[in-house]
Amino acid sequence: MNSLQRIQPKVFPIEKVNIPEALSVTLNNGIPVHIIESGTEEIMRIEFIFRAGQVSEYLPLLASATNMMLTEGSQNYTSEELNRLLDFYGAFINLSTEKDHAGFVIFFLNKHIEKILELSREILFRPVFPEEELNSLMKKRLSWFNINREKVGNLAIDQFFESLFGKHHPYGYQVEEKDFGGITPAVLEDFHMKYYTPGNMTIIVSGKIHVLTTELLNKYFGDITSKNLYIEDSANILKGEKRKKVHLSKSGSLQSAIRIGSATINKRHPDYTGLKFLDTILGGYFGSRLMKNIREEKGYTYGIGSSVASLYLSGYKVISTEVGRKYRKKTIDEIYKEIYLLQTIPVEKNEMEVVRNYMSGEMVRMFDGPFALAESFKSVWELGLGNEYYYRLAEKIRTIEPDEIIRLAKTYYNIDELYEITVG
Amino acid sequence: MIKYDRFSLDNGLRVLVHEDRSTPLVAINILYDVGSRDEDPGLTGLAHLFEHLMFGGSVNIPEYDLPLQMVGGENNAFTNNDFTNYYLTIPSANIETGFWLESDRMLELDFSQKNLDTQKNVVIEEFNQRYLNQPYGDAILKLRPMAYKVHPYRWPAIGMDISHIENVGLEQVKEFFFSHYAPNNAILTLAGNVTSDIAFNLTNKWFGPIEKRRVSSRNIPAEPKQNEERILSIEKEVPSDALYKVWHIGPRKSADFYTLDLLTDLLAGGESGILYTELVRDKKLFSEINAYITSDIDPGLIVVQGKLMNGIDIQSAEECVNKVILNLPQRKGINEEIEKVKNKFESSTVFSNTSILNKAVSLAFCELLENPDLINMEVDIYRRVNLEMVNEAIAKYFVPSNCSTLYYKSIRKI
Repeated sequence: MNSLQRIQPKVFPIEKVNIPEALSVTLNNGIPVHIIESGTEEIMRIEFIFRAGQVSEYLPLLASATNMMLTEGSQNYTSEELNRLLDFYGAFINLSTEKDHAGFVIFFLNKHIEKILELSREILFRPVFPEEELNSLMKKRLSWFNINREKVGNLAIDQFFESLFGKHHPYGYQVEEKDFGGITPAVLEDFHMKYYTPGNMTIIVSGKIHVLTTELLNKYFGDITSKNLYIEDSANILKGEKRKKVHLSKSGSLQSAIRIGSATINKRHPDYTGLKFLDTILGGYFGSRLMKNIREEKGYTYGIGSSVASLYLSGYKVISTEVGRKYRKKTIDEIYKEIYLLQTIPVEKNEMEVVRNYMSGEMVRMFDGPFALAESFKSVWELGLGNEYYYRLAEKIRTIEPDEIIRLAKTYYNIDELYEITVG
Repeated sequence: MIKYDRFSLDNGLRVLVHEDRSTPLVAINILYDVGSRDEDPGLTGLAHLFEHLMFGGSVNIPEYDLPLQMVGGENNAFTNNDFTNYYLTIPSANIETGFWLESDRMLELDFSQKNLDTQKNVVIEEFNQRYLNQPYGDAILKLRPMAYKVHPYRWPAIGMDISHIENVGLEQVKEFFFSHYAPNNAILTLAGNVTSDIAFNLTNKWFGPIEKRRVSSRNIPAEPKQNEERILSIEKEVPSDALYKVWHIGPRKSADFYTLDLLTDLLAGGESGILYTELVRDKKLFSEINAYITSDIDPGLIVVQGKLMNGIDIQSAEECVNKVILNLPQRKGINEEIEKVKNKFESSTVFSNTSILNKAVSLAFCELLENPDLINMEVDIYRRVNLEMVNEAIAKYFVPSNCSTLYYKSIRKI
């Protein structure tokens, strides 16, 4: 009675993504603002970014402590008032400190734009770093730190960055318990004065743009001035540790965390888009070779994946998983085997096609809606690039051939150069 | 306002379509009305294990993920106590591939011993990773059986005991499929770049031929009223003490659900939540504290959980928690606080509805509650809550004989 042929329906090629260009304007005092119009709801997302990430700090925890203290009291509002007002206006604020940048993203309903900008100025430019709040924050953070030290995944990634970038560079060093005592209001004020300045700032706006956006940004941020301070670059250099294999034991652990990878090129390098393609084949999606082999074939883990990431001064690639303890050795052997296969055997046409299509679909998702658009904009902007990176990526996805994959795997996944960190 | 069209097929499949032309993508969500509450106490975790098996290939399609990736799609799934939910997003030109994939695995799975064995292993590692190899990860495994003595909410979706998963056989898996996976036990929702006409035609074409099945009738024992305070204290190698308290509430559809939602938002919604302000910021008793209600369909729980600062006595911290809750209605400025959480609820609804996937999942859940309009009514219902209702709810639910408390204490390592 059923004549339906249950075969795959016609497959349509994925249309080229249409990336809206940001409108770039400059506030009266020179702060660059990038505006991306998108979406149907009356909402906006504004991100305030400063070059005030870990790379700028001269004490461990300094960058993140300064950032987290921004909402703990300003010239005109106490910490409690600031947080209550943000909630009252239905805003969502995410403070963040990354390796290169720090700042915050705020999401709000357009009707509250003026109040949100007023509060944002308070948070960014008029913080007072009260000692009591700071002590309490550091105590809380120490307590979170101790909890995180119980998780094998956290221990492994901290050690991974130390091995890759060295004990002396902010990209690499690990926070220790004693560091929590070294943060005082005076050092936060100093860091804030040097790095949270209009000259060090960029604003990314997206959503259904309120008609007065530029005018209001000028009203609240266009007249802020900064002292012209000369800031010397940190003298520390990126230098990987000599020891490639590190195992940290963790008693009572049921699983081992594994992180394998190394420092590598970033988005500025012409090979990066191809490396992204190679990484996707290896561990970048659910059908990847690592997922298929280690989870779907062998059941050693709940999940395994790989990624490549760009930093301003470097880049890195990492394979991550947590596996049953008894599978640790076997999993590591399989990871190297998969890398070896990519270096020696051309990827078959069908798999190339799957990855091309999967990545093309990902690109559609990367530019779908105001929030995704802003994030994609930021991730090229922070490397000094623009949408041309995405057009190159789209082109590479379309045209890369198996021999290039072999070349990239040999160049960038030289097994002797990979760090291998295991915990538990 | 989320507009949608609703129809159902002769085989009982319910379908809801929300068109959103602002995206090139479409989200397809399929909810099966089966969760861990439908499991036998001797075979728990099966609904969740089954979710894993659903990716192992179906009767006409050897591998689920491959053809989806081939058309630029992405997918995932989750299982909770009440239902199992599968979703994917796909460029809308290739929407039909989504229909083909989802209908085939509703039709019949390709049951293989090999796939079952591998996925059992994966689930065991998932159990280890999430519950056993995390500090405090097993707290929920201890709490549920304290609060629930007979209702299947006494075990989490991953299962009561991992040996149930270790021992399950292929026949039991097959039986589970045919008694729960059926068009008449599923809700299909679509959100994004698709019209109702296209959705209707494709649903008819791909799901129409699947016959109605005899679905196991639901026969879940009701949890008897708790009449005594329940307390458990455990010691583990964790960095600090943690406090967990739960109180029974009514089912998802009860009148005071949104009152309790608002109440827990007052307590712990955001950095300015009352528990956070008083006990983390001011008194410095906790390093973090949270409060929420479970959104279970059958009678659920209010949960309050916090990690203590070192050196703080857990009982006196607990007394402070109780005091904050009981004194809440008399707080200075409480009406403004209520206004604040209402604003926040409204804006979080707006933000959530910017995602086609969120809209598809919410629509399916509201349909499961037999009230799809709820998706557009929740903000108003929440706005209608007032101080008097909050007051009544506190008096009704926050009584010691309705409460289970877990002291999760830290022992110093040697």
